[in-house]
Amino acid sequence: MSRNPLEFSLSSRMIKPNRWLNQDWLVLFLIISLVSFGLMMIYSASGSVEMVLRQGIFAVIGIVFMIYLSFSDYQRLLPIYLNVFWIGIFFLLVVLLIPSDAATRRWIDLGIFGFQPSELMRCVLTISAAAFLSRNPRIVFRDWMIVIGVSFFSFYLVFIQPDLGTAIMVLISGILPVLISGFPVSYQIIGIVIILLSTPFIWMNLLDYQKQRVLTFFDPSSDPLGTGWNIIQSQIAVGSGSLFGKGFFQGTQSQLNFVPESHTDFIFAVVAEEFGLFGVIGLFLVYLLLAFRLVMIAKNSNFLFVKLVAGTFIFLLLTYVAFNTAMVVGILPVVGMPLPFLSQGGTALIINMIMIGIILSFRRTV
Amino acid sequence: MKIKKIFSDKRDSESRKLVLYLIFPIFIMFVVLLQTINLTVINGKKYETQSENNRIVSRTIYPTRGLIYDTNDKLLVENIASSQLNLVPERSTDTLKKIKAIADLLNLEKSFLLDIYERQIKKPRYPFQPITLAKSLNDEQIALFSVSSEKFKGFSVETGLVRSVVNKKSLAHVLGYMGYSESNDVNKSSNFISGNQIGISGIEKTYHDQLSGKVGTRIEEKDVSGKFVRVLSENNAESGKDLKLSIDLDLQNFLIPFFEGQKGALVALEPKSGLIKALISSPAYDPNIFNSSSSLAEIQSIFSDDEGPLFNRATMGNYPPASTIKPILGLAALDEGIVNWNTIIQDDGEFYVEGDPRPYRGWKEDGHGKVDLEKAIVESSDVYFYSTAYDLTIKRLEPFLNKFGFGAKTNIDAEESNGLVPNEKWKLGYIGEFWFKGDSINLGIGQGYMLSTPIQISQAIAVIANRGEIIKPRLVEEIDQSPTELESLGKINLKDETNWEKIEKSMIEVINAPNGTANNIKDTRYVIAGKTGTAQIKSYEDQEYEDIRENPFFRDHALFVGYAPVPDPELLILVIIENGESGSRVAAPIAKAGFDYYLTKNE
Repeated sequence: MSRNPLEFSLSSRMIKPNRWLNQDWLVLFLIISLVSFGLMMIYSASGSVEMVLRQGIFAVIGIVFMIYLSFSDYQRLLPIYLNVFWIGIFFLLVVLLIPSDAATRRWIDLGIFGFQPSELMRCVLTISAAAFLSRNPRIVFRDWMIVIGVSFFSFYLVFIQPDLGTAIMVLISGILPVLISGFPVSYQIIGIVIILLSTPFIWMNLLDYQKQRVLTFFDPSSDPLGTGWNIIQSQIAVGSGSLFGKGFFQGTQSQLNFVPESHTDFIFAVVAEEFGLFGVIGLFLVYLLLAFRLVMIAKNSNFLFVKLVAGTFIFLLLTYVAFNTAMVVGILPVVGMPLPFLSQGGTALIINMIMIGIILSFRRTV
Repeated sequence: MKIKKIFSDKRDSESRKLVLYLIFPIFIMFVVLLQTINLTVINGKKYETQSENNRIVSRTIYPTRGLIYDTNDKLLVENIASSQLNLVPERSTDTLKKIKAIADLLNLEKSFLLDIYERQIKKPRYPFQPITLAKSLNDEQIALFSVSSEKFKGFSVETGLVRSVVNKKSLAHVLGYMGYSESNDVNKSSNFISGNQIGISGIEKTYHDQLSGKVGTRIEEKDVSGKFVRVLSENNAESGKDLKLSIDLDLQNFLIPFFEGQKGALVALEPKSGLIKALISSPAYDPNIFNSSSSLAEIQSIFSDDEGPLFNRATMGNYPPASTIKPILGLAALDEGIVNWNTIIQDDGEFYVEGDPRPYRGWKEDGHGKVDLEKAIVESSDVYFYSTAYDLTIKRLEPFLNKFGFGAKTNIDAEESNGLVPNEKWKLGYIGEFWFKGDSINLGIGQGYMLSTPIQISQAIAVIANRGEIIKPRLVEEIDQSPTELESLGKINLKDETNWEKIEKSMIEVINAPNGTANNIKDTRYVIAGKTGTAQIKSYEDQEYEDIRENPFFRDHALFVGYAPVPDPELLILVIIENGESGSRVAAPIAKAGFDYYLTKNE
């Protein structure tokens, strides 16, 4: 394990002389471009200025957080990062305890907008897990088990909301730091085998209505009618976009509301319809370039904490992109997963930007 | 390339690993790209034309709701064709204004249509799925609409199915009615997403999932001229399942006239199977008024009726069980060793607790003299049961009554109330007083705080007929030709099992003995075991009953419960006539008529 044993003991903060020049302006530029592009797409899909304004306000809040955090001193914040997951647990419990007549409890209603604690959990769990695993020069096995335990507990809290899709992402956000930090391969295999073996057993022991619930976890809201309508329409949208697309604001499928949820989970259909195959390639390249820059930050750091946080976030970022777009083009079933930085939705946007800001702050110390 | 360097750098295993993990999402993104190429380049032309003509339409295929039959396969509820006013919101502009104009044109109630529209529009819907605004349009309305239909783009008159109860009022509470759900919950079930009505009460509610079937959809492709080309995807509708009730419509219709002009309830069930043969709650209503949802005024008049015609007294009415509970309390006293069959208690018409000058009066002023348990049931001695209840105390009374199902739902397939078996904790919580000995004494004659539903009393007395077996009452005999299962909810074991038979014998004497309270219904052809009851609804500490009964609403309720023929009972009947005053004179003859009809109909 390549690790600076003096990580905590020696406050070796080597701040480069010009903090402005040290900023990764390309990442900031990419994020702001993605979000602006998303606002355009939301407007094209919904035709609602109000919706764009709301999302725009979230974007501005997110950008402020992102830039502010990118100049922060993450080593000084480590004690906070170590404990920040308690906030996530707290809100997850609050959302479960708030009495509600709806069958699903995912939101805390703050009046102007709904706050989604599961999205917060995804972020704070990674940060705390990474801080916990890197707090001592050597990781003892018990550390891994504690992180795995907390991850499964968080998974459970989201799972019973119920929201299996996000619950799995929360689980990944806690488990991935364990895997990247060198959890022995033999144990990884044992873990996979245990999960695979127990799945049918658990399934068999579920009651009929529970099975039905588990099945509906997979498509919570995007396709409530259980037909191929969304998929057929979004495939038509993507396919009719052809090579270069119909042009901005010209997407008839989305304009005529044939694609439901076109401003949230299906926004990729709007992108493909209006900008075509090349638009899709361009968008993918932007995501990959972003991922590459973030990988470089991880690579250039000597600190395990940095590698764990950045690695996990990059993985989740690309996984969201992959699953969301795969769903829109109809190669994966409909699951409620937004497209990062583009889909309408305040909590996810702000959380993603906070994560970017934290990762950018890693550049300040080597 | 730098990535390559990451892999060659053996010391930085974390970076290597994280890049390795990224292969997974990047691979999926690659597949997405291939699929996008497939959609845009290879099939691009197809999708382009599809989107140009915007010719994808989704059709909702409504399943037919299951029919409901009685036990002799007589049709109770059917679906009849009706002309209905539909609206496709996507095709309409200025919808609210147009709804008002249509209401004026067709002489429908504006607020009613708007209410339906506002509720339905909020629910999840396929694009272009119509909303039904009004049902059962008449010819004149159809003609009026078709004349000016082009003014109302998006509105149309189409044929649909409406639920129709064949026998109108006679099974209103059993069958229930249809209406629009209040809930907008998406996750509930696709059956709620239809613009269709759902079962609001009775069988229509309890068995809504089975009756409703599954809404299907068909997504069709059409050409530019709107002609059907092909089906792109189809979810077949599944029609609802037919139900066969255990209700015997003939028996039901025979018994209903006895309730004419009276409030009350009747339960008739087969003790060994729990199958309900007749269930009456009076007054009743016509469910078709709701099903066709035609007139708001009529619906409101039912809702505002003081006599509560919507209320199913047979399963939801909370009544004091009064003396009908005495056989069960007798069993309790025997089982707890408070009395045996030879124990004699002197009944001089009043019972006193030591140190309390207040008398607990029996219904017969001079008392019944020397009373043993059998005589106490036959003549319905209150003092005997005051005394045993006093000795039993609530600690032993409550669990025994609970065992017989009092204070809890019977789990019948209808909406029901819990009734109430009071105890010390309940009284302290709800009344704010400690439990007095007098409370136990009142419980001894099924009065005081105790409340029970007619179905609970029936179930409890059926336990005696079944020698301790508790059978769940049920209304549905078959679902789609497959019989529903008899369900035993447990068995009550007595210390002396012969007491079942002995208590039954006392109940037979209630009818057969010359001094029995229901001697007036004695029959030579078959043996009835039963118990009368007269439930006080107003306590009269200082007043005499003669004064109280001046107000008809304060008159006692009349109860009778019995089963016949002993020893192999086919039918148990419970009758409650509100303010009927006399269990033996008013309630028992109705049950007798039911027995006569049911037991002799095949002769």
